[in-house]
Amino acid sequence: MKYVKNLYILCAAAVFTVAACSKKLDTIPTESISNEAALATTSDVKIAMVGAYDDLGNAYLYGGDIFILGDLMAATTEINWSGTFGAMTQVYNKAIPVDNSYIANVWLSGYRAINDVNNVLSALDVIKDEDTRDDMEGQAKFIRGSVLFDLVRVFAKSWNDGNPAANAGVPIVLTPTRSITDSSKVPRATVAAVYAQVISDLTDAETLLPPTNGFYASSLAASAMLARIYLQQGDYAKAAVQANKVIASNAFRLTGTYEAAFPFPGGMAGAVANTTEDVFAMQITSSSGTNDFQTFYSPLGRGDIQIEDAHLNLYEADDDRLNLFYNSGGSVFTGKFDNLYGNVHIIRLAEMYLIRAEANFRQGTAVGAAPVDDINTIRDRANLALYNAADLTLAKILLERKLELAFEGFGLHDAKRLQQSVGNIAWNANNLVFPVPQRERRVNTNLSQNDGYQ
Amino acid sequence: MLMGLCVLLLMAATGALAQSKEVKGKITDSKDGTPIQGATVHARGGKASVVSAADGSFSITVDARTRQLEVTYVGYAAQTVALNGAAPVTVSLEQSGETLGEIVVVGYGTKSRRDVTGSVVKVQSKDIANTPATSFESALQGRAAGVQVNQQNGKLGQGINIRIRGASSVTAGNEPLYVVDGIPITTDDLSSTIAPTNALADLNMNDIESVEILKDASAAAIYGSRGSNGVVLITTKKGKAGTSKLELGYYHGNQRATGRRKFMNATEYVNYFKQAGLGAAKLDYAAGYFNTLQEAIEDYESYIPSRFTRYAAGENTWETGAVNTDWQDEVFRTAPISQYDMSVTGGNDKTKVFFSGQYLNQKGILIGNSYKRYSGRLNIEHKLKNWLTAGANLSYARSLNYRVSNDNAFSTPLQIIALSPITPVIDPRTGLLSGALDLATDAPNTNYPVYYNPLLNVDNAFYHTLVNRTIGNAYLNANLLNGLTFRTELGIDQLNQTEESYYGKLTARNTGVANGNGTYATTEMLNLNTNNYFQYAKTFGTVHSLDATLGMSYQNRQMVYSTATGEQFPSDAYKTLSSAASKTDASSGSTSNTLLSYFLRASYKFANKYLLGVSGRIDGSSRFGTNNRYGFFPAVSAGWVLTEENFLKGEKWLSFLKLKASYGVTGNDNISDFASRGLYTGDAAYGGQAGQKPVQIANPDLKWETSTGADIGVEGSILQSRIGFEVEVYQRKTKDLILSVEVPGTSGFSTQYKNVGNLTNKGIEITLNTTNIQTRNFRWTSTLNFSANKNKITNLGGQELGNSVNRAREGEALGVFVAREFAGADPANGDALYITNTVKADGTRDRATTNDYNAATDVVIGNPNPKFIYGFGNTVSYKGFDLDVLLQGVNGNQIFNKAGTYMSASGSNGFDNQTVDQLAAWKNPGDITMIPEARLFYPNGTDPSSRYISSGSYLRVKAVTLGYNLPRTLLNQIGLDRVRVYARAQNLFTITKYEGWDPEVNSDYQASNINLGNDFYSAPQAKTIVFGVNIGL
Repeated sequence: MKYVKNLYILCAAAVFTVAACSKKLDTIPTESISNEAALATTSDVKIAMVGAYDDLGNAYLYGGDIFILGDLMAATTEINWSGTFGAMTQVYNKAIPVDNSYIANVWLSGYRAINDVNNVLSALDVIKDEDTRDDMEGQAKFIRGSVLFDLVRVFAKSWNDGNPAANAGVPIVLTPTRSITDSSKVPRATVAAVYAQVISDLTDAETLLPPTNGFYASSLAASAMLARIYLQQGDYAKAAVQANKVIASNAFRLTGTYEAAFPFPGGMAGAVANTTEDVFAMQITSSSGTNDFQTFYSPLGRGDIQIEDAHLNLYEADDDRLNLFYNSGGSVFTGKFDNLYGNVHIIRLAEMYLIRAEANFRQGTAVGAAPVDDINTIRDRANLALYNAADLTLAKILLERKLELAFEGFGLHDAKRLQQSVGNIAWNANNLVFPVPQRERRVNTNLSQNDGYQ
Repeated sequence: MLMGLCVLLLMAATGALAQSKEVKGKITDSKDGTPIQGATVHARGGKASVVSAADGSFSITVDARTRQLEVTYVGYAAQTVALNGAAPVTVSLEQSGETLGEIVVVGYGTKSRRDVTGSVVKVQSKDIANTPATSFESALQGRAAGVQVNQQNGKLGQGINIRIRGASSVTAGNEPLYVVDGIPITTDDLSSTIAPTNALADLNMNDIESVEILKDASAAAIYGSRGSNGVVLITTKKGKAGTSKLELGYYHGNQRATGRRKFMNATEYVNYFKQAGLGAAKLDYAAGYFNTLQEAIEDYESYIPSRFTRYAAGENTWETGAVNTDWQDEVFRTAPISQYDMSVTGGNDKTKVFFSGQYLNQKGILIGNSYKRYSGRLNIEHKLKNWLTAGANLSYARSLNYRVSNDNAFSTPLQIIALSPITPVIDPRTGLLSGALDLATDAPNTNYPVYYNPLLNVDNAFYHTLVNRTIGNAYLNANLLNGLTFRTELGIDQLNQTEESYYGKLTARNTGVANGNGTYATTEMLNLNTNNYFQYAKTFGTVHSLDATLGMSYQNRQMVYSTATGEQFPSDAYKTLSSAASKTDASSGSTSNTLLSYFLRASYKFANKYLLGVSGRIDGSSRFGTNNRYGFFPAVSAGWVLTEENFLKGEKWLSFLKLKASYGVTGNDNISDFASRGLYTGDAAYGGQAGQKPVQIANPDLKWETSTGADIGVEGSILQSRIGFEVEVYQRKTKDLILSVEVPGTSGFSTQYKNVGNLTNKGIEITLNTTNIQTRNFRWTSTLNFSANKNKITNLGGQELGNSVNRAREGEALGVFVAREFAGADPANGDALYITNTVKADGTRDRATTNDYNAATDVVIGNPNPKFIYGFGNTVSYKGFDLDVLLQGVNGNQIFNKAGTYMSASGSNGFDNQTVDQLAAWKNPGDITMIPEARLFYPNGTDPSSRYISSGSYLRVKAVTLGYNLPRTLLNQIGLDRVRVYARAQNLFTITKYEGWDPEVNSDYQASNINLGNDFYSAPQAKTIVFGVNIGL
């Protein structure tokens, strides 16, 4: 029975094969690691903090879109949108369907960054060194406060529109998501509650962070963000104090020329360091980060946004800032954003001078400096004649602000703050507020929709 | 447990020797007396079996008591001949449409068609070979009931989607499992762009002996967790004992686009956009941008001509229509295709061999697109001992695909139609392609023409995909005892891919990079598989026969990939990354999954009358959550051959009638390897610092999608097998759908994988094979298949999925189009109107119209899934001539022109050239038209709506072959065995109402389970005509 022997050998082989394989179902991912292993050490928390900036710099968020969409919404005759991205055209036309994809992505990106920093905040206990722990907590709260502020500005009625304690703001999420449950359906907090959270986060950040912190958020960045927030609320006294902290720290100074604030060395796309006046900027390199201002404003990008005479005519003839505009193929573009790998300027020192000037002027105070001196600091850099204190008006301050910070994301929020209509659309019209994204309301029945989008 | 079984089988074994005799004979074709090679001669009631040689002769040694021989050959009616002692016999076989005698391949074994109780459809090599297409799936289209084949577009070597009896999943894979010679192969899309490539294009379709498609749950359940979408079993050609054949083949021909879309000419374009300026002026004035309407109009009257002049290369040729460019002419071409084949089949009692080689050289109908493939195969089997056979099947392919950009890129050839007809191809200012050079900046133009000119990609950019692919397996087959065999096989599928691209200086407007950028990416996919199984087949007494399979298999798939990109090249002469001044990005990674399985199948047949089959498989997969790692997939099926019953045996008109029914459970594991885990990614660098961030939320309960299918069928043939028919009805219910479920974005995540949801497919399939006329010289046969499938999602856990117009919605078919219902232009003011469709208190929908898009409600405006599909083939042969015509069609589906928002858009998107139907735009109050007023840069009805929906039904003359076989007398003189010349056409003619390029479409950049039936500047299919010759000696 030779066959029998063969049979046993083969059967044994088969059984052996079976036994040998059964442990092999535990495969291990290589590019990703499990949640449990991700936040175990100080170093883990630090890299999770870095990762939060990566999400903060997402194209839809501080990569630029949240600001560009605001400027497009506030646009009338000064710029011309001729791009092919329909979702942005809808914003430019102030007729936004609730399924606008860009607006959904702004929402998703905002809360993704918030979840990132909530993870960091949840793991602070593993950090033994107190300075490091404060630094991580401060940076995380800076990001959470700033993002919530920018979300509430676009997704809700503005602070000065009716009663902020009654108007719906945006959901506030303060803990990291480990599983999806019914409690994940967070309702909208009021505008006032969101501002309170924002101010609390940024005030904590201001306390916890060192005054300078490389390109990461610093206490001065938190102060500057607070100045912007108080100005938006019309709390001029606090705005002046916060702006003054940043200026008085002497940690930053205006660049020699206006052009130098938007570096594009040699006209070659390349990563650059923050300028001396960048209080906070998103870092762009060839391998990380997106600068969507470049994408949409620069003819080296898509060149979808052209500058019209109505804007150029606002400048005095010898204004040095005019030199940054140029004609390409028959259309005028701003040269602020030509560097594909240029950092996204979130807060420049110039804004602090303008906030301090406006806030002091409105209150008749001179916290840090007289308003005329601050405005002249800006005008001097632009090679413009200096004002006498007697000639200074609020209108002049606001015009200086508009020109100095043009296309940097202030259009919509200043229009609302100053109650200026957009074309013939009232400053507080429903269609100057983003709709709550349809996809979000589909999965979260606790979310109310904004007026005009029901 | 396995050991125990071995012992049991041993005990059951018996064996005996007896007296024998040798019988010789010859087999010929009754039509013209030509010898038939490869026919099987089988001793009735015994085991002996031989195959006829090239001259039709055979010699068989049979038991002395054998009275009859059974002769079978595929495509011919089986014949039983009585033996007169050991006297030589002559058998004349008649061609037949009847296929009951054929052997079909099923998972881990074969079966006679007659005994099949599941649903298996077979496509023969003759229907596949020499199809002038890149990949063999094209040849299945229209050939098999229940099998829908849809090629995404006319780009070479790209995505082809196959749905077997409808889609069974919403977010996991919907493609069937492909198995070549018993080994599952890699079919993943490894393209590093969003447009998929087709890994099946690496197979030489002329190597294929047959393709069997397992359609119902009972047939597919032996493949367990991968069976839900059906299984495609590919069997390659093998050597044959007693043969010695060389075959040479060659064809050459041309391909053209199947259709064109009509766009405005220069004069129409100019007039249309002037009109669009007037429309926009009214809105600008209304918005308060101008003090008077006249001012607004004047603003446009100066702006628009300045743009015309820009787009007419700075000249005023636009005023006269002197330049009138049809951009489609510039990207479509008549493209050659040729293929060279060689194969050898041979063997003797101990060793059988088949080897082949092929070279395919194909240009695409789109400029810049081409495909070349070299492939070779060696299939060899050797009998080591009487009881032991060893073999190997080995194939190698090297394919080089010169790809064009995905449908959503400005550089994809067909986006050229967005350019203005007033723009010259060659810029007269430079003598170069329009867009190549702006004399003012000495760099490529940034705003002329309207968009980046895709023609600049042809000479200034490339994107090559090179694939080296080895698929092979080695096996041992042991006849252990009477009726018991053991087979062990080890398969490997090694796919190495490199993708290299370079975009030169002149493409800067498209890439955003001034001095060139390049990418180099590699992917290595290793797919290892071993199957080890016993088979037992025995007839007990005269009426009981048993057939059983028991075994295990283990599969391990690993993928390793890397990619690197660089920018700033010294000149376009340097195209490799070593010359890039700035290495902008690099990454690498790997992924893997394992599957461990045990399977059992048993079939029992009583008196050739009652058939019963059971099977079960246990699968364990690394892809699933720790709480649900193993799954069990059982099936049962039964058949009743009524013609074996006494009450029907006498009926001469009825040759065969079988009823069958089956029920089984299958799974779908086709999700990403680590879908169940909660994950952080290290791809989160910021400002040069390394970072990490959460990317996926965990679900430890994640498990298979499970389908349970029931199938009832009747199969028969009447009138001496002149008419064969098969009718099947089925229902497949899928539960635990693995959905990437939308979650509240406030969680920090947008989706999570969960087992929620159910869907159902129900359908009917009818196949009819007829021999219409059969005389000595003339033969006409037809085959008709019809399949209707109704797909319905019954539960998505209250969600709706889809990021585009296509949706997965409860109560609807997968991928239905959901958007506003368009109602044409408001006669009063030209505004786009929509039907409100809000639900009223009484539950009906409000049919009032509104010009406010947000005031209207989304409704289902179309379905990309056909109501039914069909194929109708006719084969006529007369003496040496043969003609084969296959019609193929789909019916009842819709197509959404996703690019309508740009190309049929009332000028809202700026100066994109528009489709001619836009000329009917509203102009004056009172105009009744479906086309809203043209308004430059003002969207007017361009948001997703039924405005861009149209019928996708078509009937296509899919394949026509006219061949001539040289007569035998002539062949004998020139010493050849076979010479055939033929002309073959693919997609010869299409009847459709679709106004786009081609109704067989699904835009490559977003195609998914849900995103179906979209057209987005998608290249049409190719209409191909080739002339070829096959020579056999």
